[in-house]
Amino acid sequence: MSDQMRNRLMLAVALVLAAIYLFPLYWMYITALKTGSAMFATPPKFLPSEPQWSIYAHVWESRNMGRYLWNSLVIALGAVSLIAVLGVGCAYVLARYRSVWVDIGLFLILMLQVLPASLMVTPIFVGFSQFGLLDTPRLAVILAIAAKSMPFFVVLVRATFMSVPMELEEAALVDGNSRFGAFFNIVLPLARNGILVSAILIFMQAFGEFVYSKSMIQAVELQPASVGLNSFMGPNTNEWNNIMAYATIYVTPVLAVFILLQRRIVSGLTSGALK
Amino acid sequence: MKRILASVTDGKGFDIGLVLLPLAFLLVLSGLPLVYNVVMSFQEVDMFSLGTFARPFVGFKNYVDLFSQPETRPILLNTALFVSASIAGQFLIGFGLALFFSMNFPGASWLRGLFLVSWVMPGLVVGAIWNWILSGDFGVLNFFLRETGIIDGNIFWRSDPHYSLWAVIIANIWLGTSFNMILLSVGLSGIPKDLYEAAELDGANALQRFFTITLPMMRSTIGAIIALGLIFTLQQFDLFAGITSGGPNNSSNVTQYWAWDLSFRQYDFAKGATISVIMIVFVMLASVVYVRSTRHEVRG
Amino acid sequence: MTLQIELNGVNKFYGAFHALKDINLAIEEGTFVALVGPSGCGKSTLLRSLAGLEKISTGEMKIAGALMNNVPPRKRDVAMVFQSYALYPHMTVEENLTYSLRIRGVKKAEALKAAADVAATTGLTHLMKRYPRELSGGQRQRVAMSRAIIRHPKAFLFDEPLSNLDAALRVHMRKEIRALHDRLHATSVYVTHDQIEAMTMADHVVVMRDGVIEQQGRPLDLYDRPANRFVAGFIGSPAMNFIPAIVGEDGMHAVLDLGATRARLALAAPLAAGVAVTVGIRPEHIRIVASGEGAFDVPVGFVESTGSATYVTSATRPELTVVETGRPDIASGERVGLAIEPTQLHLFDADTGKRLEVARAAGVMRFAPRAAAHPAAATFSPS
Repeated sequence: MSDQMRNRLMLAVALVLAAIYLFPLYWMYITALKTGSAMFATPPKFLPSEPQWSIYAHVWESRNMGRYLWNSLVIALGAVSLIAVLGVGCAYVLARYRSVWVDIGLFLILMLQVLPASLMVTPIFVGFSQFGLLDTPRLAVILAIAAKSMPFFVVLVRATFMSVPMELEEAALVDGNSRFGAFFNIVLPLARNGILVSAILIFMQAFGEFVYSKSMIQAVELQPASVGLNSFMGPNTNEWNNIMAYATIYVTPVLAVFILLQRRIVSGLTSGALK
Repeated sequence: MKRILASVTDGKGFDIGLVLLPLAFLLVLSGLPLVYNVVMSFQEVDMFSLGTFARPFVGFKNYVDLFSQPETRPILLNTALFVSASIAGQFLIGFGLALFFSMNFPGASWLRGLFLVSWVMPGLVVGAIWNWILSGDFGVLNFFLRETGIIDGNIFWRSDPHYSLWAVIIANIWLGTSFNMILLSVGLSGIPKDLYEAAELDGANALQRFFTITLPMMRSTIGAIIALGLIFTLQQFDLFAGITSGGPNNSSNVTQYWAWDLSFRQYDFAKGATISVIMIVFVMLASVVYVRSTRHEVRG
Repeated sequence: MTLQIELNGVNKFYGAFHALKDINLAIEEGTFVALVGPSGCGKSTLLRSLAGLEKISTGEMKIAGALMNNVPPRKRDVAMVFQSYALYPHMTVEENLTYSLRIRGVKKAEALKAAADVAATTGLTHLMKRYPRELSGGQRQRVAMSRAIIRHPKAFLFDEPLSNLDAALRVHMRKEIRALHDRLHATSVYVTHDQIEAMTMADHVVVMRDGVIEQQGRPLDLYDRPANRFVAGFIGSPAMNFIPAIVGEDGMHAVLDLGATRARLALAAPLAAGVAVTVGIRPEHIRIVASGEGAFDVPVGFVESTGSATYVTSATRPELTVVETGRPDIASGERVGLAIEPTQLHLFDADTGKRLEVARAAGVMRFAPRAAAHPAAATFSPS
């Protein structure tokens, strides 16, 4: 068997595997385009015969998705900004030194990374309500998400900083820079890509966040899209085409960003998780 | 004052400032809640005492009550089943895919990366999609299973207590497999090629190479991935909210969903805190394993 | 001449590890100093301390007369060339060159002019708009040098700058750096593990081991009068032969222990009888003669020729290496005589490894004053 044949065969198998694995995603897109009756047909149709393109506008309007997505965006951007401002410096210091104190700090951060949100939400909710933070529920959620996701961000960005050679910073110091100057002129520009990718990952997480928003935001007009989807799915719903249309509108931007930046996101993710 | 300023611009003060601020933030927003959680688990908390710190302490009453409840045992067993089945499924399928994609062919790394969409999607959306796929009468999974002759009648995944937990497990395996695969791929690519060539010259066949080279060389990676799987599985909440809501009759309930349900559905914050404390201790033990198995880096 | 760099009793600890032990060094303005030693000897730590990248634990460090102990790197006005070059990858060559000037607030036009001037002398003019990743190893090396030159610093610090280059380029750059030094007359401190670099480039060589200065002085002084066995073995290539020996009863000859072979070797000056010594002979100071015509005979082990020189190794324990120019007709297994000039022997105390100073005629050789001041170079004359 020639190399070319082998490569083609492997690629074909890989495509089949990917198709099987990504079928749920396809099913979401295809269901959204079906009419009520086509949706419940047996056997199910795997290609839509008469796609209902108007469903997106309908769901957008009827579920008030603009407001939900805006809230998701506010929460995600708020959380990412807070995490980036606080986390970058922390990651830098933890990457630059090796000492007992750094090990302790790193250990604490890894520990905080693993605390499940659904378990931490009880004390955070009670504490926040006592300090009146629940009067600004979106801010409360931003703070909670920041605390939850910052450790992960620090671990990822630390790996990026470790790939910037220490000599570059030392050269900048000898060249006449203060620590500030060396950090902002040399280290930060070189770590920019890694920081950006990590921030995008955190943004994606925060954009889909559910537990904190569900628990802390009572007012419908402040809830994000995840909570909106949850209230859309009643226990005995049969509006699956509408729900899938909602899901499509919700995830497509996230998926588009992911596919565009796929290579960088994957390498950023792996460098942090195992190092 | 001048010395402090000089230390900030040129010395350690710069580093200390950078690290103290975020640590303080984490301490207040993660550390304090952690402590508060433990405190509440020893208190009587109801809707009236929610706003005050001065609540009556009740010793281990919450813990005793919790373990005398009839649903506690099945929920703990469900959690164990959910965790072990999810990790096993994610790891085995992930390892298989990683091995397949480690054979170099054009497009391999791009296609492999594409799998990760399952992991970056909002958990609730994954839950919604699987909720629909697993639907009893019209679900596409039942259709496939009928067509291939695996089942005769439809399985009511979400409403049959025998299957409801498995419904979430299937969705969770789908969600986590890609992440396992990517991390395992990294581990596989870290094994030097000449080791395989040497083993081949020594006469080892593909299977022998897998057991004598691949597995031993991947030991720390596998340890880290399984620990990470444990951590992620115990964090899984959105799928329960999106598929079964723990029902019917707690048949698919697990501790991390139950803790939330106790606090925010039944307003029994003390019990919610109690179960949280137990599970957090457990998660932390898992993370110690994770941290230990990833501490091999050397700074050059 | 004024002292440009002064170290008095400098110590550096990393936790319990004692990296620099009581370092004393005085470098005159315009001197090219090489710090040389095996890896882990503390030479890089010493250089980084001069740059301010490491803080010394005790002692005092002065540059151009000013105490530097607590001065941050940016205020020391020294330039450093790193082993990895440490060129800023996100800046062009021109931006790399002008970076330090821009930080100091030099006007843009002025900085560009300075960069152009330096680039012209180092042959980088046509590369100014390139990024470091687009340059060859030698070109990167030049950029790193130019980046240091442009600042007219009080001192140049080099951290093994040639170790990433291939052999031919290394020899070439060696000359270029030295020529540059001669042109600029700047004080340079050059760290290397390669004794040939140290010998060929420096005015003053400092040999270090385990955080201690073993000896310092002019290159040829170190070669001719190594203060101890370590320096003797480190300087010179191929390395000096060391043979355990006992001083004979008349004090005028040494009995060499060559395993199966015992040999008598005349000394240039008397030593105390019965003292255990190590005799050092450089390979180039031994001549091969017919059997019975030299100081003693040895069986030949290996003969290796590079074309221009022939290395003959004896089948004795320890082995003796001899360098002969040309291609003598010698085969393995043959017995040959070795002719050795007594004045070219080096004698070391068998226990301490210190040089045993044989009383010599005045004027033959004189210690450099600073080297003699150092305890490691102290003379030792058994009466």
